[in-house]
Amino acid sequence: MDEDYSTGSVDADREMTRLWRTWRTVFEMLLDRGYEVTEEEVQIPLAEFKRKYSDPLGYPDRNKMKISARPTEAMQAKYTPLPSKSNPSPQPDCGTIYVEFCPDSTGVGTKQVRAFNHFVDENNFHTGVFITQIAISPSAVRLLSGVPGRICEHFQEQDLLVNITRHELVPKHVLLSPDEKARLLERYRLKESQLPRIQVNDPVARYLGLRRGQVVKIIRKSETAGRYASYRWVI
Amino acid sequence: MSQQETEILANKPGTDPRHVAIALHHARQIQAQKDAEALILDRILDLVQFPTSSSADPSSPTPEDARAFKSALTPFQPADYDNLILERNIEGLCGYTLCPHEHRKEDPRGAFRITWGAKGSGPGGRGREMNIVPKEKLEMWCSDACAERAMFIRVQLAEQPVWERRAGDARGSCILLLEEERARSQRQGNGKMRSTASVNEVAGQLGDLHVHEGSSSSDVLNLVAKLSVRDDARSQELARERGDAHPALYTGRVDINVQENSRAAGPVIAPQMRPGDEIGGSIEGYVPRDH
Repeated sequence: MDEDYSTGSVDADREMTRLWRTWRTVFEMLLDRGYEVTEEEVQIPLAEFKRKYSDPLGYPDRNKMKISARPTEAMQAKYTPLPSKSNPSPQPDCGTIYVEFCPDSTGVGTKQVRAFNHFVDENNFHTGVFITQIAISPSAVRLLSGVPGRICEHFQEQDLLVNITRHELVPKHVLLSPDEKARLLERYRLKESQLPRIQVNDPVARYLGLRRGQVVKIIRKSETAGRYASYRWVI
Repeated sequence: MSQQETEILANKPGTDPRHVAIALHHARQIQAQKDAEALILDRILDLVQFPTSSSADPSSPTPEDARAFKSALTPFQPADYDNLILERNIEGLCGYTLCPHEHRKEDPRGAFRITWGAKGSGPGGRGREMNIVPKEKLEMWCSDACAERAMFIRVQLAEQPVWERRAGDARGSCILLLEEERARSQRQGNGKMRSTASVNEVAGQLGDLHVHEGSSSSDVLNLVAKLSVRDDARSQELARERGDAHPALYTGRVDINVQENSRAAGPVIAPQMRPGDEIGGSIEGYVPRDH
């Protein structure tokens, strides 16, 4: 009896710690994308996370783990398209983001995704991030990406255990605003299709929530030149 | 010319109408593909809720359910059908759409199970056949009978995606349930299941299919003559198959103008000896001096 309890608590502890790392990566991701999150939220200590988000048995309670964040001014500026003849005062194409952790540990299918889509749509969130413990079914993936006018992304908890952009071999990716992109194309006299490309489902592109047609600047360390910048068109 | 094309041409003067037509043609193809995928997703979501009553019998479904099921499956590929089975399993139901029961739940320990076939199914007709099956495969269904029913539907589905199928393609549109197929083959009198058609039967049918030695070569020539190369009905069918059916593409994707060289048609003159030819002639205009 006693032994049972202790193995259970070790299990709970491990799961809680894993989830804490995922949670921190999610906040770092929101920060890197340019949402308003505070320093305390990003660097939450394990003890406080345990106190806030565990159930009486010590296991994580994913129903409590919901995040919503608003974009900063800088991010809004980055996502505002250039004014054109037909649209002289464009609105920024970004808004409140909502992150939900799915509590089901087996069989995540269209039912859960439909509920999530419905919630995002009803509360008028611009972007939704759905985080599950296991892979979701192919129909659910299709359903998630098919919400008109909203962006819904999906991650697995294990994908976010470590923050890949903090790895020393991953160079810094910086999203260019439409204005910066136009200047880049003018400076090098390029059409955007002449740029090198990056896939929209590239791990870093997914981390930054990039969309088709955007351009990222990749800054690498260079032995000879100190720093070396290259550009990628998201397709 | 469609309304869209005229609009685009009016907005952007100087655009080649053929380019616009080709771009629109491809855009419509992509749109049709997206629509088909959305339709299949909707159908999967509908079929997850089947059957309509929770007391339905999978071996004798109601005619309405069976009809709805069959008509919904028309655009499916086998992969879509697998998605449907997965989706039903996630809901806790048996993978066969017309079965209201829950799927089997095996002992969570061990990833594989051993299944034994019927008596006399083993090697050399003795003993029992043994199969090692992943646990997930067994857990898809409520019973072996349902597995057989569901797999019988799966083999009838068309491999081609719906947006590439031709208009008269019967495959995938007339699907039979296993019970219907059994009743049909019993009515035909042989009383055998289709799966037990012996090798000898098939070989016998192939034996009937021999070339008639009696037909003379002139018959063959007549037949070949009937095989006209320019057959409008056939070329249209071919165009549809290749996705070139749009009016803008009737002339082909590239303009080809064959110009006959008129000078080549004149009479041919034999070559004549020219001065210097007797000592070997010139090499592209250069006459070597040393001999």
